[in-house]
Amino acid sequence: MQEWANQLCENRQFGSKMTDSKYFTTTKKGEIFELKAELNSDKKEKKKEAVKKVIASMTVGKDVSALFPDVVNCMQTDNLELKKLVYLYLMNYAKSQPDMAIMAVNTFVKDCEDPNPLIRALAVRTMGCIRVDKITEYLCEPLRKCLKDEDPYVRKTAAVCVAKLHDINAQLVEDQGFLDTLKDLISDSNPMVVANAVAALSEIAESHPNSNLLDLNPQTINKLLTALNECTEWGQIFILDCLANYTPRDDRESQSICERVTPRLSHANSAVVLSAVKVLMKFMEMLPKDLDYYGTLLKKLAPPLVTLLSAEPELQYVALRNINLIVQRRPEILKHEMKVFFVKYNDPIYVKLEKLDIMIRLASQANIAQVLAELKEYATEVDVDFVRKAVRAIGRCAIKVEQSAERCVSTLLDLIQTKVNYVVQEAIVVIKDIFRKYPNKYESVIATLCENLDSLDEPEARAAMIWIVGEYAERIDNADELLESFLEGFHDESTQVQLQLLTAIVKLFLKKPTETQELVQQVLSLATQDSDNPDLRDRGYIYWRLLSTDPVAAKEVVLAEKPLISEETDLIEPTLLEELICHIGTLASVYHKPPSAFVEGSRGVQHKRLPGSAGSGESVESPDTGSAPVASEAPPAVIPSQDLLGDLLNLDLTPTTTTGPPPPSSAMQMGAMDLLGGGLDSLPPVPLRRDTPQSPQPPHQSPSPPDYSPTELGVDLGGSPAMTAGFGAPPTAGPPSFTAPVSGGLDDLFDLGGGVGMPMGAYVPPKTLWLPAMKAKGLEISGTFGRRAGVVQMEMTLTNKAMSVMTDFAIQFNRNSFGLAPAGPLQVLTPVSPNQSIEAVLPLNTVGPVMKMEPLNNLQVAVKNNIDVFYFSCQYPISMLFVEDGKMERQVFLATWKDIPNENESKFQLNDCHLNADAASSKLQGSNIFTIAKRTVEGQDMLYQSMKLTNGIWVLAELRAQAGNPNYTVSLRCRAPEVSQCVFQSYEAVLKN
Amino acid sequence: MIAQVFILSSKGDRLVYKDFRGDIGSDAVGLFYDKVTALTGDQPPVVMTHRNVHFVHVWQGGLYLVATTIAADSSPFAIIDFLNRLAALIKDYCGALSEKTVQMNFALIYELLDEMLDYGYVQSTSCDVLKNFIQTEALSSRPFSLLDLANVGLFGADTQQSKVAPSSAATRPLQGGKSEIFVDVIERMSVVMSTSGVLMKAEVEGEVKVKCFLPSCSEIRIGLNEDLSVGGSHLAGYGAAVRVDECSFHPAVRLDDFEAHRILRISPGQGEQSVMQYRLADRLPLAPPFRLFPAIEKDAAGRLLMFFKLRCDLPPKSSAVNVSASIRVPNGCISLSQELSSPDQSAELQPQNRAVVWKVPRFPGGTQLSAVFKLDIPALSSASMMEVGPVCLTFELPKVTASGLHVRFLRLVPTQHRGPTQRWVRYVTHSDSYAIRI
Repeated sequence: MQEWANQLCENRQFGSKMTDSKYFTTTKKGEIFELKAELNSDKKEKKKEAVKKVIASMTVGKDVSALFPDVVNCMQTDNLELKKLVYLYLMNYAKSQPDMAIMAVNTFVKDCEDPNPLIRALAVRTMGCIRVDKITEYLCEPLRKCLKDEDPYVRKTAAVCVAKLHDINAQLVEDQGFLDTLKDLISDSNPMVVANAVAALSEIAESHPNSNLLDLNPQTINKLLTALNECTEWGQIFILDCLANYTPRDDRESQSICERVTPRLSHANSAVVLSAVKVLMKFMEMLPKDLDYYGTLLKKLAPPLVTLLSAEPELQYVALRNINLIVQRRPEILKHEMKVFFVKYNDPIYVKLEKLDIMIRLASQANIAQVLAELKEYATEVDVDFVRKAVRAIGRCAIKVEQSAERCVSTLLDLIQTKVNYVVQEAIVVIKDIFRKYPNKYESVIATLCENLDSLDEPEARAAMIWIVGEYAERIDNADELLESFLEGFHDESTQVQLQLLTAIVKLFLKKPTETQELVQQVLSLATQDSDNPDLRDRGYIYWRLLSTDPVAAKEVVLAEKPLISEETDLIEPTLLEELICHIGTLASVYHKPPSAFVEGSRGVQHKRLPGSAGSGESVESPDTGSAPVASEAPPAVIPSQDLLGDLLNLDLTPTTTTGPPPPSSAMQMGAMDLLGGGLDSLPPVPLRRDTPQSPQPPHQSPSPPDYSPTELGVDLGGSPAMTAGFGAPPTAGPPSFTAPVSGGLDDLFDLGGGVGMPMGAYVPPKTLWLPAMKAKGLEISGTFGRRAGVVQMEMTLTNKAMSVMTDFAIQFNRNSFGLAPAGPLQVLTPVSPNQSIEAVLPLNTVGPVMKMEPLNNLQVAVKNNIDVFYFSCQYPISMLFVEDGKMERQVFLATWKDIPNENESKFQLNDCHLNADAASSKLQGSNIFTIAKRTVEGQDMLYQSMKLTNGIWVLAELRAQAGNPNYTVSLRCRAPEVSQCVFQSYEAVLKN
Repeated sequence: MIAQVFILSSKGDRLVYKDFRGDIGSDAVGLFYDKVTALTGDQPPVVMTHRNVHFVHVWQGGLYLVATTIAADSSPFAIIDFLNRLAALIKDYCGALSEKTVQMNFALIYELLDEMLDYGYVQSTSCDVLKNFIQTEALSSRPFSLLDLANVGLFGADTQQSKVAPSSAATRPLQGGKSEIFVDVIERMSVVMSTSGVLMKAEVEGEVKVKCFLPSCSEIRIGLNEDLSVGGSHLAGYGAAVRVDECSFHPAVRLDDFEAHRILRISPGQGEQSVMQYRLADRLPLAPPFRLFPAIEKDAAGRLLMFFKLRCDLPPKSSAVNVSASIRVPNGCISLSQELSSPDQSAELQPQNRAVVWKVPRFPGGTQLSAVFKLDIPALSSASMMEVGPVCLTFELPKVTASGLHVRFLRLVPTQHRGPTQRWVRYVTHSDSYAIRI
């Protein structure tokens, strides 16, 4: 800046010498005055220099608006360089001087007629940048001419100008018909013009989400694809981004677009490559996976992605963030490219961390040895953050690839030997996770861990260590001493450590009751009496009461089987991932957040989603309307990495890791039983007692447990049939409705409850035959679905028509449209003897994996018993997915109704329904279809109703009933029109029963 | 869409500021500077956000080139690329990118920006296209001086040794001057190898750059190795064929003769262009240039002894320059004593990086150097032996390409322009990341 000042200073002095001495003072005014004089000079060169100085001052942020008239005076010149400088000034100050800006209009209009295309374009470009309302009126005529100019340079500038003008005065642009001219430009012969027209239209279309301005149809797409080959790299980016918004009609079209976009992948400009990747990733969704072309495409995607990594670190970082998304969506693309993601020692730390993350995602049995060797190297690096991440990564590998677990553990032990403080702490944290994933396998290392107890100073590591000590208290001789040593500074610990310590000591007590009474009392009083932390206090009280009232129950609670930890961590949840895939290459892909999360205001915020997968012949909703139809609002926090269909085929006793706690797999776990259930039927937790052969010392002030008796112990050790079934007890505590009643009597009770609570219960269709005995080696299943007290249930009658006893029932669902999944294991507690029927009620939740089914409400089920695995599919009434809070506010209803485009409305006829409007309304209410308003026009009753599906989709309905006419008309509006048909079927079913 | 572009000096002064869309105030400049100076090392500097304004910047020539945007769908890739092109264009027009040249040529830069961006849409970044529209003459920051001869290098790299090109060619504006053309083959090499010499990873990224100072030229032809094979490693056979795994070309390159004769035909615009980029992995045609033979032990006095033999496997005629080996050492080193084989080498302990840095200014091919380092580490345990290594090397190999790619010929198709044309072909290989694990 010094230079500027000097220059200006010199000028000032120079000027002062020439002019009156009164300007000798170094005031701003003097400076401006001199510039004014120079601007009005006759000499062109001097004028030019003066304008330059003005612009220099403008750049630094000085206010030179006072010179406006003088600068505008210089506008009338045939010197293009000077003209450009003046325009530069104008663009900056016109807004603050609108009246003065009018002075310039004539020149602009004249310039637009200039024979030199450069000047014509310059004038149009500048006029658009002057954001003054008064000027826009004068702009229209010149703009219209320029849009049809013979010179493509002028046309492309005019195309952008329409977007500028639209931003200032949208109405004017529409009235003047510029939008149509712009649309015509898409067919222009010059690719640059096409690119700019596309860019301008895309932007305008964004502010009118419902208009079909950028009407993408096969013809225009074809034009765009042709232009793609010819235009500049930047134009290619506009066009590719625009293509990404198009939804092809079928897989054929999708493939042909992919074929024409693929050559872009070898472009030198990485932004073009990434835009092409976006288009391909999106359209690939529509290609059937068994298509040869699909495989070819996957192969073609890898090299360009790898090439992106040879750029500067900044670009590498952006590329890695995008690759991270792509790898999560389609790991197969880069599965052979692991080496590219190995960290270079001189990568910046943010690149290293990204690479590490991708390495873990790509780790598989095939390459795990290589990956581990790398990670071990990284763990001795200098950068602390990176080392920590590397150690964590080793743990993640162990959890992800079972075969590698042993090597991972030994690597971690090696690292612990280094005694580097932060390495040891990280290692302990991950070893805890490994213990949880593979129980009873690696506990031999506990001794090594305990050696490092003193060096732990981070809460997370201390908490992990305490957890390990508590969990394996029975194997650690001095567990009580270890925990006691932590207890000394109890109040200085962080909450995380305090909670762990409390739980660990209670565990220890339950395992070694005799020696640790004092310790447990100490920790309980510390937690309950001396702590201000409500979480800690409450947990303390719960343990206290449990221990004092029912130690057996305490064991069941405290030592309960823990849910498995999932293989993949840090996965982006699927709906967000889908949206982010649509935003590859944009800011959203760098932040890993949807645009709505970081853009204020509504402008430009649209939820994009991937097109439906191959085979769904149904037309897919256009990308700019509301929420996704089949994506659930509350998707699972983790998704299983393997294909669920595969799961169904290799169905075993273990449900997928996603939902709930696993069924017992070892003797220990069988005792882990529902607390309430345990109170009702006396299934005694045998193995627990086996673990503690000496009778559990009743804790202070507590009576001995009533159900404890030696005889019972003897019987249980002998093994009851229920225990051998091995699948009996639900592992978690839940509300009573979840602990499925076994007898039909209880079932009735539920019905009764429903009847009392509500005017009319939710409609439950009668049971239908799902699986004939013929097809299932004698097992017959009939069933239905219902919603009872807000819980979706599958109610089944299992009949054994075979000659032998059936046991070991288990059930799994395939992915389905609404993410239905069993909320617990199928409970058939007793073996089903020949010719016996048994009722089973399976509570369901909707947090399972989602896949669109055809028809929408189709559900594929696999049932296993001791004989075989059987598959069947059934259809559930969609009404069971209507949630209780589906009543929309009147105002919202009205607005939503209008907002949903007309094409999303479906009309249905409902014949032979002999209910009046009120009766229908109350009947529907029972199934969570809520009437919001009723209107009677000329004897015709109109009911306005709303319902909400478990995944957050709203369906709005209008029901017309003519008095005396048994035929109803139902009109349904929904942002996801696919559901309409199913919803109508539910209407029919509810009203006719 | 780019909303604003500005260029700031390292001190945060505005040198150029242009608003394209009027939706972000000019206070963004100050905001950006506060943010960028407050960044810590481990935060990715690429994209920064404040409210709903996103800043994308590159740091070149001691200047911040910044673009802001509020559109969520703008591509940071495209913006970074654009800013890099802007930097390259300023270099092409003004000779260099520095605070001074930007100040002197601000009017020109405004003009460039005006043509490059319209309403935030990138229009063109090609020097050839832009020169039709640009009126302002560039001012060169310094007159030609013999002193410049001292510091000649390839365009990006500061290679002290490769004094092959005449003086200010790299830092000279395009207009006027001699008619010259430079073709550079620049490669970067990443290697990870074990002490036994097993290559765990080897990768070469290369590019062919053309910098053209010809007033007019219809076409140049660059002939590459005739036996160059692209992709399909199965075709390579046993011969020492030169191979690249992937390559991409500048859109202006005509590849009619590439398949048959490996000839690139280009009509180069004035200025610098990267005409071909390529990559090869794993199977390098030559042995990696360096091998290390370490021996590490604890002596009786509890010191750590490291014996190193470093061998340069380049052909005897070539040599590596500016070789620097950084050896990771255990925590808690207090002092270092060393024995090196020649006085021009040096070694120092950098405790903050836990490293011993051993520098060799010139290392001829086929020779071998040895060194002994003794480190005093008070808390030396057997576990801390694990912390030794890797050894990371940085170096330059002038006149060598790791891939074996060579320019057979460089032909200019004659035009009306008369007079002698200087043609230069240069090769250099840099270490990108060369690590030897111990």
